[in-house]
Amino acid sequence: MIPSLTALPTVFSIGLQRQLAYRWNYLLRALFSAMPLLVSWVFWSAVFHGKETVGPYTLASLLTYYAVLLVVESVSSPADDDFQISREIREGTLNSILLRPLPYGLYRGALFLSGRCAYLVAALIPLALSFFLLSRVIPLQLGSLDLARGIPALLGSALLQFSLTLCLSLTSFWLLDISALIFLVYSLEFLAGGHVFPLDLLPPTLFQFAQLLPFAYEYWFPAATLCGSISHSAWLFGITMQSGWALFFILLAHSLWQAGLRKYTAAGG
Amino acid sequence: MRPFFHLLRLWLIQLRYAATRELAFRANFFVWVIVELSWFVLQLAFVDVVYQHVDSIAGWSRPQMIVLVATNQLIQQIFTAFLMPGLVKLPELVRDGKLDFVLLKPAPPQFLISTSQLEIGPLANALIAIVVVVFALQELHITPSLPSILLYGLLIVAGLLTHYALLLALVSLTFWIVQAESVLLGYYSIFQVARLPREAATGWFRIFFTFALPLLLVANIPAATLLHGFQIGPILLFLLTCLTAAIFASLFFRIGLRRYQSASS
Repeated sequence: MIPSLTALPTVFSIGLQRQLAYRWNYLLRALFSAMPLLVSWVFWSAVFHGKETVGPYTLASLLTYYAVLLVVESVSSPADDDFQISREIREGTLNSILLRPLPYGLYRGALFLSGRCAYLVAALIPLALSFFLLSRVIPLQLGSLDLARGIPALLGSALLQFSLTLCLSLTSFWLLDISALIFLVYSLEFLAGGHVFPLDLLPPTLFQFAQLLPFAYEYWFPAATLCGSISHSAWLFGITMQSGWALFFILLAHSLWQAGLRKYTAAGG
Repeated sequence: MRPFFHLLRLWLIQLRYAATRELAFRANFFVWVIVELSWFVLQLAFVDVVYQHVDSIAGWSRPQMIVLVATNQLIQQIFTAFLMPGLVKLPELVRDGKLDFVLLKPAPPQFLISTSQLEIGPLANALIAIVVVVFALQELHITPSLPSILLYGLLIVAGLLTHYALLLALVSLTFWIVQAESVLLGYYSIFQVARLPREAATGWFRIFFTFALPLLLVANIPAATLLHGFQIGPILLFLLTCLTAAIFASLFFRIGLRRYQSASS
């Protein structure tokens, strides 16, 4: 087990090189990812016209939430790991990985990590530039971020998103095409994850319900924690829920992997 | 006129072929209807949540905003059905050198690429968007006249042309960038602007997205025509800007095509 784990830095390095080969692709992604922030600024400025607050938010705190969300997304969201895993299973290229003395989950984890690092490198300059330019016209409150509690929530979000992606991708052992399933979950993540609007703008009952689902801990929880809008007890509850859901999806992914391997057949050289 | 009918005939043949291919996977059709519908519900839910806190946004009431969002959805879904699936295949065609097969055919490559695919699922969602528009108009006690409905149809076509121009320009980047799959993300990101009420935008944002890239007109002008009737100025501006955008995008595609080098041996 231990000798096989020493291969992980190599997997990470290869993944990083592969990702950076397409740096223009990443740069474009990063540039385009700033667009929703611009749209949010225009839309919410109109909503706040003549109003000081909407729900618990001022215009500045709401736009800061959307800006922080961009960072959360670039650190924790898988890029096309789901489709890569699906292709490996469907096209049989999984064979060569099965022969290696390395647990598949850890192998994919190292590649996920390299993808996030490559994206961060490519996204850093465009993100910083767009934040700088937008902060000239948008009253962003980026100076008072709660990093001490926000970073664990951010890392938890990355683990949760990776494990959920792994579960979805592993259904490729049974399904021919998983893209519809992936896009369906995307839409749930966007709505119930706080991507479209912060969840605390929902009516209280719906907000409480959303906090029981895993999606809230992918975007809303780390972003709201970084913005400092979560009390300590709510943060403790959130971290527990986030870890619980991540553990659940890791165990589910393990079961799916075991069951899938029993079904998996691949022919050809 | 003859070349036009020739291309129309070609398009119909391509549509028939693509429809046969699509209908071979019926379950997939229903699944995608649900997926696209969930994204539409998401947009409506967003409108609902925001209007729980305010009565009006930039002068648009809740049902008016629903007309805007559903009109945007209608244009988006028709575009996704007929033109988008072909365009998004361009990066792959260029990377694998399969564009050779398109270039060898005796028809304009831009036309062949744009019309080669069809997705039937989005058409079902386009119908749902129409139903939502009708319900929102009922809530507003508006019964549009026949000329308004016809004009609405024409403006939907202009909206499709704007979507087409932007995506064609974005996918044409593939002639310069090897892996240009991110352009699809760019398309979805930029087109979020189309859902904004035009009155909400001010300053350079409004000028840019009205005259340079007329996204603020795409859904706003058709929706405003249904809600407030015929307004000659904005309609002419929209038609002019969408035609200009389409011409520029086509030129950009041709410039890119000159750089194409087959990937095969």
